[in-house]
Amino acid sequence: MASDEEYSLQFDEDESDEEVTALYESRNTSEFTLPDLICHKHATIISQESEFDIDDDEDDAIHEYEDEDDEDDNDDLLALPITMSTKKALSEGSVPNLKYECLTTQGIYERMLKRIHHLQPLFSIPPDDILILMQHYDWNEERLLEKWTEKMDDLLEEIGLNVTSKKIVDNTNSNTRGLKYRKDFSCFICCDDKTTETFSLECGHEYCLDCYRHYIEDKLHEGNIITCMDCSLVLKNLDIDQIMGHASSNILMRSSIKSFVQKHHRNYKWCPYADCKFIIHLKDTSSLGEYTRLHYSPFVKCNESHRFCFHCGFEVHAPADCNVTNAWIKKARKESDNLNWVLTHTKECPKCSVNIEKNGGCNHMVCGNCKYEFCWICESAWAPHGKSFYQCTMYNNDDNGKTKTTSTEDAARRLKRFTFYYRMFNEHEVSAKLDWKLGQTVGIKVKALQEKIGVSWIEGQFLSESIQTLVEGRTSLKWSFAVAYYSDPSHNLTKIFLDNQILLAKAVEELSELLLTKQPEAIMKKKPDFYNKAGFVENRRLALMECGRDLLCKGICKPTD
Amino acid sequence: MSRAKRIMKELQAVKDDPTAKIGLEFVNESDIHHLKGSFFGPPGTPYEGGQFIIDIEVPMEYPFKPPKMKFDTKVYHPNISSVTGAICLDILKNAWSPVITLKSALISLQALLQSPEPNDPQDAEVAQHYLKDRASFDKTAALWTKLYAGSGAAGPGSANVDEAELYGIDADAVQEFESQGFEKQKIVEILRRLGIKRLDPNDNDTINRIIEELLK
Repeated sequence: MASDEEYSLQFDEDESDEEVTALYESRNTSEFTLPDLICHKHATIISQESEFDIDDDEDDAIHEYEDEDDEDDNDDLLALPITMSTKKALSEGSVPNLKYECLTTQGIYERMLKRIHHLQPLFSIPPDDILILMQHYDWNEERLLEKWTEKMDDLLEEIGLNVTSKKIVDNTNSNTRGLKYRKDFSCFICCDDKTTETFSLECGHEYCLDCYRHYIEDKLHEGNIITCMDCSLVLKNLDIDQIMGHASSNILMRSSIKSFVQKHHRNYKWCPYADCKFIIHLKDTSSLGEYTRLHYSPFVKCNESHRFCFHCGFEVHAPADCNVTNAWIKKARKESDNLNWVLTHTKECPKCSVNIEKNGGCNHMVCGNCKYEFCWICESAWAPHGKSFYQCTMYNNDDNGKTKTTSTEDAARRLKRFTFYYRMFNEHEVSAKLDWKLGQTVGIKVKALQEKIGVSWIEGQFLSESIQTLVEGRTSLKWSFAVAYYSDPSHNLTKIFLDNQILLAKAVEELSELLLTKQPEAIMKKKPDFYNKAGFVENRRLALMECGRDLLCKGICKPTD
Repeated sequence: MSRAKRIMKELQAVKDDPTAKIGLEFVNESDIHHLKGSFFGPPGTPYEGGQFIIDIEVPMEYPFKPPKMKFDTKVYHPNISSVTGAICLDILKNAWSPVITLKSALISLQALLQSPEPNDPQDAEVAQHYLKDRASFDKTAALWTKLYAGSGAAGPGSANVDEAELYGIDADAVQEFESQGFEKQKIVEILRRLGIKRLDPNDNDTINRIIEELLK
């Protein structure tokens, strides 16, 4: 660790590090420019860096580094300097060192096409053929170029782009690529004799169009190169479009890009929100480990404004860090199954509160623990029921008289504690979803403002800003319960955290209530209120996040199983 | 409809080519989805002299999806499950193409008997046997062929075969532990599980491991 300290900086809460701040501020601003989307003009084509370069070695190194991540007291020491300005930006909702872009499969494909046109002079084969080569090498340009310079002709034959004489069937009629119209054609696949359109490549393996369509249809979604049914000759995009109809090959290309994204999940991540089509591309993942080590959530934002953590791929989860999130999700999944099961299949013995599972049989229960005899349905003593084994004659909707003696068992208490936090977490999740829905209606409200009382669009924006603040506040609040669950309840800082939680919860509810206002006039009248409440939520949220990070950094919050 | 036509045509093609010595017929004339295929073990292999029956299920999407094939005849082979007869062969999975016929698939199975792929096994125990001791493997495979696929095949279970021999386990090895008072069935089971076919009397580590298992 000593060597580490040489180039690390003391990360302190006070703001006296102005020198350092100034030193790195310039660096930050220059780093924050968006990557150039258009290909740069370099002297040579090869020397130009591919935008889709994946340096696997580097990724592995990062991974190892994360594994070393531990909760020791070196947390305040930084290997990479994160300055006060960076820190401020972080808590305000942007992650300065992460340069990323938001793409779609179509967008990636179009850029691949651009790349291919750029590289074409090197290959001296049609762009369509390069596309097949790229697809074969999983869009890894470097590997392709390496193989290409190594063995150009072999490669073309291996992949099925070149027709060699031995592959050609002796069938003079069909040795041309494309569609044909044939009378009394006997198709080998379906064994029908009919007058039909057929297709074949230069190899002469000719089949009717119906069979070819059937063959290709499934394969379009697999994203692999499609070959002739009987040999390795490749169907190019043009052929596929000819057989399947206009732009069908686009589906194949998108499927191929999808598997490319999945293979390179370290640099590319799908937005985890349901039905969101966006992909975030982070070229340099080297700072991810540092953010997580400092218990920040390195989140990104897609074009739909969905925010998610690029490190764990989960929705934005501050003040919880990735470890807490992971532990919480796992536990919630496990425990909620247990909880549901316990709730649906068991009842507590009315006398001793032990959980009893009814695994069949009649309603006459005998507690295995205290031997109390009771009725499963009404949970009262069995004696008055007499001999009516299968029906409760005593059923009464009133819940009176059911005093539950609390079990002193530690496990039960722990479960109760978890159940409490889990319920709070869930409630805020549900509310966050409702808020999101509310946000969808905001557009309508803004429009109403414009139409009814002539408010300009810009002036109406405070409404959608408030919604955004509300959703962010709610999400932070939600995850703060995970942090609270794993924190040492006796520590003073935890108590402060819980106080902060209550303040944020209050602020969130107030803003939420304000946003329910329907009358356009009332909304405009309350405009200052919106600003005030939203500002209050934002401040409370930042305070809670800072406090949560403190808990994590000081090891007061430790995820355990 | 084209599927029925194609299957009928494939059946005819098999009948028209008796030299291939491939059998293909419906299990039940009213059901064209279910067939049985058969072929002879390739000469020069431990499967020589056996006739192997293959259960074939033709899916609705045939010939665009591969048929489901498995061995009805018990066979000792690295790529075929010795218990269920399930087959591990690429052309019956992702490498399937509509131009492959039931006949050519059966011929591919015959070729699989000729040249096993022990590094991509279906039956790990058998594959290990194949890689460790080829001669012993061949002996066992030949025994299975004689027992289950031979012309006078007695059928599974009815023949009075020694269980140790059936899995290619050296009789002396079993004897060694039997003399120590262990039950034969248990010895065979453990030797199978550990993948031990033969015993080196000086290899104390292995002997101890077996005894440890036996005592569990």
